[in-house]
Amino acid sequence: MSEANKTDAGRHLSKIMQNAYMDLHTRAKEGAFVVWIAINVPAELFYGFENLVYAVPESHAAMNAGKGVGAVQCEKAERIGYSMDLCSYARIDIGCAADGGRDSPSFGLPKPNLLVSNNNNCSLLVKWFDVHHREMGVPHFIIDVPFCYGPQKEKDRNYIIRQFYDLIQTIEDLSGQRFDWDKARQALDYTNRGIVHWKRFLSHARHRPSGITAFDSFVQMAPFLIMRGTPEFEAHYKLLADETEQRVKAGDFPVPDERYRLFWDNIAPWHQLRDMSSNLADSGANIIGATYTSCIGTVEGSFDMYPYDGRDPMRYLARTQNCYICPHGMGLRRRAMRQAVETLGIDGIVFASNRSCKPYSVTQMDQQKFMSEHLGIPSVMVDVDHADVRKYSKESTFTRLEALLEMIDAKRAA
Amino acid sequence: MIGCFPLYPPLELFHSLGLNPVVLWRLKGEGGQTGESDRHLQNYTCSVARHMTEFLLSEESGAFLDGIFMYNACDTLRNMPEIIEGGLETAGRSVPFFNIHIPMVPPAQTDGDEYLKNEVNRLIEELEACFDRKFDSVAFQNSVAQFKRLRMLYLQAEAAVANGGIGFREFAGVFRKAAGMPVEQQQGILEPLLSQYAENSKNQDKAGIILSGILPPPDAMVEAMESSGLRIVGNDIAALHRSYADMPQPGAEPAAYYRDFYFNHYPCPTLLYSGDRRVQALLERCQQTGAKGVVFIGEKFCEYEYFEFPYLEKKLGGQGVQTLLLELAVDDEDHSAAHGARIEAFAEMLSTS
Repeated sequence: MSEANKTDAGRHLSKIMQNAYMDLHTRAKEGAFVVWIAINVPAELFYGFENLVYAVPESHAAMNAGKGVGAVQCEKAERIGYSMDLCSYARIDIGCAADGGRDSPSFGLPKPNLLVSNNNNCSLLVKWFDVHHREMGVPHFIIDVPFCYGPQKEKDRNYIIRQFYDLIQTIEDLSGQRFDWDKARQALDYTNRGIVHWKRFLSHARHRPSGITAFDSFVQMAPFLIMRGTPEFEAHYKLLADETEQRVKAGDFPVPDERYRLFWDNIAPWHQLRDMSSNLADSGANIIGATYTSCIGTVEGSFDMYPYDGRDPMRYLARTQNCYICPHGMGLRRRAMRQAVETLGIDGIVFASNRSCKPYSVTQMDQQKFMSEHLGIPSVMVDVDHADVRKYSKESTFTRLEALLEMIDAKRAA
Repeated sequence: MIGCFPLYPPLELFHSLGLNPVVLWRLKGEGGQTGESDRHLQNYTCSVARHMTEFLLSEESGAFLDGIFMYNACDTLRNMPEIIEGGLETAGRSVPFFNIHIPMVPPAQTDGDEYLKNEVNRLIEELEACFDRKFDSVAFQNSVAQFKRLRMLYLQAEAAVANGGIGFREFAGVFRKAAGMPVEQQQGILEPLLSQYAENSKNQDKAGIILSGILPPPDAMVEAMESSGLRIVGNDIAALHRSYADMPQPGAEPAAYYRDFYFNHYPCPTLLYSGDRRVQALLERCQQTGAKGVVFIGEKFCEYEYFEFPYLEKKLGGQGVQTLLLELAVDDEDHSAAHGARIEAFAEMLSTS
C-alpha cells in the first residue's frame, strides 16, 4: 500500500517500526546488551535494565515475508541443509542470519549477547534458537511453560515465575547491569494501557459493517511484538483505536457492502494479506476477526482483556504466558472461538491449516467439526504457510473460500 | 494396561502399581492404515502420532487399555489427549488420561527438581485413586530392578548386533514383538536370543554405521543397507538406544529416581535441555563402535530431529564421520527401496574413505 493510501495509524506504524529497527541497530552498535527473544517472552522485564535492547526473530521473519523476501531467505537456509518442512519463520531467520542480514528490509538483526526462547508457543523455538546458540556461541536461556488443558494452575505459575527471576539474574550476570523493578513495572503499565486501546480497536469489528478487517489487525500487531513496554506502544494503539472509532462514526468502512462476516484461525499468511483482503472485499466478504490477534492481552480460554492490576508484575506476566493459542488445549480454544463467533456475529470460519505451525493447526480438524456440529457455523480448511509463498496456492484457497460463501448463502436460504 | 505416549514415560512407576505400561510406538509393526487418524490429523503430522491415534481409536486394539499416560514429549503429542478423548467419546468409550509436565529447563539454569517431584507425586496420587492401589517403595525398587535388567539385555543385544552375532532386522523385530508385552515377558524374549547367538566375524570388514532416528527403519531399508556392504554397529534411535542407554541410580524414592532418569537421560532432541550433549554422545558412539558413518532416518515432519541434522552433519563430518539423511513418512515403508541408490552410493563412499 502506498503511503498516500494509508491511514494515519498506518503511516504512524511505518514510522515507528522503521525507528524501532534503526534504534535497535544503533544502540547495539553503541554497546547495548542485545537479547533475541521468542515473541511471548515477557519483554517488559528488559526495560528494568538500563542499556539493553531486544530483537524478535519471529517478527523480523514475518516482516521479510510481508515485504516479499520470505522465500529468498528460506532458500538460503535450505541450501545449508534445513528442511523445507521446517517452520518458515525459522528458515527465514536462519537463512538471513547465515547471510549476514542481506535482503532483509531491516538489514537483519544485530548479533545477540543472549538468546531467550520458550516452549509455550512451540518447543521448536528452542530448537531454532539452539541453531544460533551453536553457530554464534551465544548463551541460550530456555523458559519452560507447561501446556494447559484448563485454566493455568498455581503450581505452573510459580514455576514460571521462578524462571523469570533466573532470567533477570542471568542478564545481570552477563551484562553487569542491575535490574530496576520500578522501570519494569512502568513498562508493564505502558503495555497494559496499550492493550486497552488494542482491544478498543478490535471491538470495532462488532459494528455492522465491521470497522476493521483482520488483515488490519495482523499488520497492526507488529508493535505488540517488538515495542511492548514503551510509551510509543501505548501512543500508537491509542491513535489506532481513536482513528478507527472516528472512521466508524463517519461511516467509513473497509468493506461497506459487507455480506459475509468471517473469522480466521491461525497465523496470518503474511505474503497474501493485501491480495486476500481485496479479493474477499470484492465478494462482499470480510474476515473481521482472528484467533491470532484476539488472544493478545488475555488468558487462555477467553478473548477478554486480562488487565494488569498494578501489583506483582511477575505474577501478571506469568499468568498471561498461556494466552496465545498454541500453549493451551482444544477445549480452551473452542471456548474462546465460540465467544468470538457469538460476539461478532460470525457467518463462517476459515481454518488456515498451516504447515509451518503444526502446534496451531493440529487440532483444527476436530475444531472445525465442533463448530459445525455445535454452532452450525459453516467453515472451510485452506492450506497456507505463514511465510513461505511457495507453499501457497491462490487458486485452491479461493476455490475453498468461494465454497464457504456459497455454504453461508445456502444456510441463509434454508 | 496403561498406554503411554512416546517417548520416555516413567514405566517403572506404573509397573510398581501393578499396571502393565506399554509405550505406544507402532505396535502393529510396519504398514497399517491411518483411516481413523486421518479424520482428526492433517497429513503433515508425523507417522508416530498418526499411527498412535489410529491404534487408540480403533476398537480392536485400543479397547483393552485401562488408562492412557502422556507427558510433554513434543508439540504434536501435547495436543493429542483431547483429540483422543473426543474420538473415544464418539465411539462410546472412556479411558482415564494421566499427564505430567517434565521440566525442560537446563538444570544449570533453573532448578526443576521440586517441580518434577510434585509432578511425580501428583501422578502417584492420581493413579492410586483411579486404580485403587497403594504406592509401595519396595515394589517400586523391584520394578526399577526389572527395567534395569531389561535395559541391560537390550544393550547386550545391541552389542551382539555390533559384533555380527544378531542381525539388526532380527533385533528390530524382537523390539517390535516385545514392545507391547510386560517387562518380564520382554526379558523372556531377549534372554534366549542372547544365549543362542555366537559372534560372527565374517562381516567385520564391512563399513560400520550407526542408525539415528525415532523408530527403527523398515526391514527393506535395513536389507538395502546390509546388501550394500554396510554393517549396523549401533543405533541412536529414540525407541531403542535412547530409551535403554541410561541406568538411573536405583532408589526407593520415585522423585529422585526420575530426576536422574530425565535430567541425565541419553540426549534426545525432544529433551530440550539435552541438546548441547548430543554431538558429543554421537561422536562417542562412533568411537566406541568404530562406525564410519551415521545414517539419519528422518521421521518426516519431526522438526525436533530435522533442526539438528545440519549441525550434526557438520560436526560429525569434521571428525571424519560421514552422514546420510533418508526420509520416511507414513506409508513410505512400501517405497523404501527407492532409497536403495542413495544407500549404495553412501556405502561406496564409506568403503573408499
